[in-house]
Amino acid sequence: MTHTAPTNSAARMDLPGDLTYAMDTCARCGFCKTVCTTYPFGGGFEPFSPRAKVHYLKEVLAGRAELSPAWVDRMYQCTTCERCAEVCQTSIPLVHLWEAARSALVTAGLGPMPAHKKIREFVEKWGNPYGESCENQAQWMLPEHKPAQSAELLLFGGCTASYRMPSMLRNGASILQHSDIPYVFAAGKEVCCASPFLRTGQDEVAAKLIRSNLELFAELGVKRIVSPCGGCSKTLKHDYPKWAKKLGLPFDAEVVHFSEMYAGLIAEGRIKPNRTLDMTVTYHDPCHVGRSQGLYDQPRAILAAIPGVTLVEMENVRQSARCCGAGGGVKANYPAMAGEIAKKRVKEAMDTGAETLVTMCPFCQASFDAAIKNIGAPLGLIGVDELLLQAMTP
Amino acid sequence: MTTFENDLTRVLGPRVSFDPEVLAAYDHDLGEMPRALTALFQCAPQAVAVPRDAAEVAAVLGIAGKYRLPVTPRGQATSGYGGSVPVKAGIVLDLSEMTRVLSVDQALGTVDVQPGVVWNELSRELAKYNLDNRITPTSAPSSTVGGWFAMGGVGIGSMTYGSIADVVRQIDVAGLDGSVTTYQGRDMELFHQTCGILGVVTRLRLACRQACEMRACGALLPTPESLAACLADLRAGSSPYSLSVQSAGYMKMRAQAEGGEAPAESGFLLVAAYPATAPGDAFLAKTASRHGGRPVDERVARHDWEGRFYPMRIKKNGPSMLVGEVYLPEGAFPAAWREIEAALPGPLGLEAVATADGRLAMLIYIPDNAKSLLYPLRMPKAMIPLAVARRFGGSVYSPGLWFARHSKELFGPAKYRAVMELKKRLDPFNLLNPGKITGANVLGLPGVEISSLIGLAGILAAPLSRRLPYQRRELA
Repeated sequence: MTHTAPTNSAARMDLPGDLTYAMDTCARCGFCKTVCTTYPFGGGFEPFSPRAKVHYLKEVLAGRAELSPAWVDRMYQCTTCERCAEVCQTSIPLVHLWEAARSALVTAGLGPMPAHKKIREFVEKWGNPYGESCENQAQWMLPEHKPAQSAELLLFGGCTASYRMPSMLRNGASILQHSDIPYVFAAGKEVCCASPFLRTGQDEVAAKLIRSNLELFAELGVKRIVSPCGGCSKTLKHDYPKWAKKLGLPFDAEVVHFSEMYAGLIAEGRIKPNRTLDMTVTYHDPCHVGRSQGLYDQPRAILAAIPGVTLVEMENVRQSARCCGAGGGVKANYPAMAGEIAKKRVKEAMDTGAETLVTMCPFCQASFDAAIKNIGAPLGLIGVDELLLQAMTP
Repeated sequence: MTTFENDLTRVLGPRVSFDPEVLAAYDHDLGEMPRALTALFQCAPQAVAVPRDAAEVAAVLGIAGKYRLPVTPRGQATSGYGGSVPVKAGIVLDLSEMTRVLSVDQALGTVDVQPGVVWNELSRELAKYNLDNRITPTSAPSSTVGGWFAMGGVGIGSMTYGSIADVVRQIDVAGLDGSVTTYQGRDMELFHQTCGILGVVTRLRLACRQACEMRACGALLPTPESLAACLADLRAGSSPYSLSVQSAGYMKMRAQAEGGEAPAESGFLLVAAYPATAPGDAFLAKTASRHGGRPVDERVARHDWEGRFYPMRIKKNGPSMLVGEVYLPEGAFPAAWREIEAALPGPLGLEAVATADGRLAMLIYIPDNAKSLLYPLRMPKAMIPLAVARRFGGSVYSPGLWFARHSKELFGPAKYRAVMELKKRLDPFNLLNPGKITGANVLGLPGVEISSLIGLAGILAAPLSRRLPYQRRELA
């Protein structure tokens, strides 16, 4: 069942019935407002709060407000970090709501934002939002990396790791090889997981990408998919099953983020990080690894297993972790805002006194890399996987 | 040409908005009021100003005075009494960006804050000094210090430390003449619970407590009488930091919302929090047993304590909730509660906290749906607890806009008179949060005051509203 805004609005908007009910339960308590990543960039005005956005959407559906360009812009100023949903008194699935609203805006011809249209053009032409030739998809590989022709495990690289921040992907492949775990890598065939398009409401192109990947998974016959990327693993884990059903395609592979795999291998004794690395680190919980997938303990278990590594926590961690600023299409369309959000998190990391900031998502890593350079922070930046690999290497 | 828009922009630059879309977000607070009711006022302001310090607040007030524009101060609007809702348009003074902790005196155990500081954030800041808030509202993750002082009220810790008025030691208040004045003691009391009708608070000094870990324990009591007796004994024989109560109806709603099991199907859950260094588990267990109750598993009490800031999670069962909020003398609880239950057949939840002065601050929840056509007709149900409580020596919890006619009763004649005299002196044109405390006349109907109208409607429509059950729609 869907609820449709009356036609006296500037444009029609459809939202699923379960979301409209959830919106009606909004207690207007404002817990979401105080934790919102992007609210501080709205000049202190209420309409930039998640609470106000819920109210506005209700008003639109009731025909008492119109879908103005300013409101559309506000709807896109959200990193989908899920902090709002985490604190919501009535457990409104707020990120699903934002995504559904964006999808409705796209359907109404009011979205997405210009930069999102650009990445759509890229992905339609190249299969990735960076406009890179798929011939370069395996450029991160080292000579010693020998993916199998056929295996139960698929290494899903993801576009950011494959084309921009390859270290986590490269280290992942090395650790798999070191652990004698055969894997396939679909070089040149893997397309974008569709996360940027699902987050920005571009369902049509998302469906094409998902279909392409689902057909690839079926062709490869994989039983398990591992990815270094928070966004990819979240999307494959949570969105693909729903879309597979919608598209009428099979999908029964287990999806894991590398943090789950590493922690499991350490627990089983198949990975032994014996080398001591004397360093103090602080860990950033990527939104799509932590809040989206509940993977808080695994990265910390990996760090705890590395001799000599001391973890000092930031003020806001786990469910309360601040966002890196990149998600939800914010980095693409509001780069200045994304940069400021990343800087805020880097400063929080510096306040711990740690010498190095570690994380487990290439998208976050890219944001922090720029922020650290921008403010000249005396802070190292490295992936947890990199530390693990170093500790595994005699 | 000089206009108030120009003047405001000169003072605040981009932190003032005249955009109708922005203004529309300020025409309501936490309460879900029927449109027919809010349409009686000019709830959307003409401007929203977001000051960051006392000087900016004073400057905005000076402009309001110059142009004779109403000013409605607002924290996070986490109360449902209409205290932060404009009734005559004008300027909304959004104080939620005044979030600085100005100073901490560790030796005296006090903290000076701007009014927009959020309670939980303050707790985090005070922890650095081994201090903590004496009391916190259950809306602590978002509500502001200044907002609670302006609305009045009690919360977690009020069993030991009383109300917000007992915790605030000193305030600075900005007036329409652009001045900022410091108040304390009796003079300060006039600004408490009066919704900013005398001036806008720009700084508060709060007394803090030593930070300590709290340990929760709980008991189930079978009847209202056993609950009241147990509460009285706990007051007399131990020193709980906080005492809270839930009825079986509330426990059921909460369990439904959380997808768990209610601790009991009848009776009341009493949860006490004691400093971990002086736990009260044994005393509570013994006391509850003496009154026919039994202690609950530690996990039940801990779950309740950890969820103390989430009372509205039960709204998942609504999607709306009619809420009656009252003070009631603890001794009167058994008789009053039986009357309330009898008067409100159907799902009904009670959540209450005990206060240092022997009262219960009670929230009575009735599931409903604000979208329903019959919602306005069922709303008088929320007035029934107040009518019952008043007969048993209780009162309204806070006057704000919707209960302004109860201000005199709640404040007492002396304070009410002093407030009105000061109002005349400081705000002769009734610009500071008009309609709150003093009462608001309905648009176009001079002499028809809204809270009196609501009171009358409550009396006349309550018998009908009781006969209009709400059937929750099941989701497909």
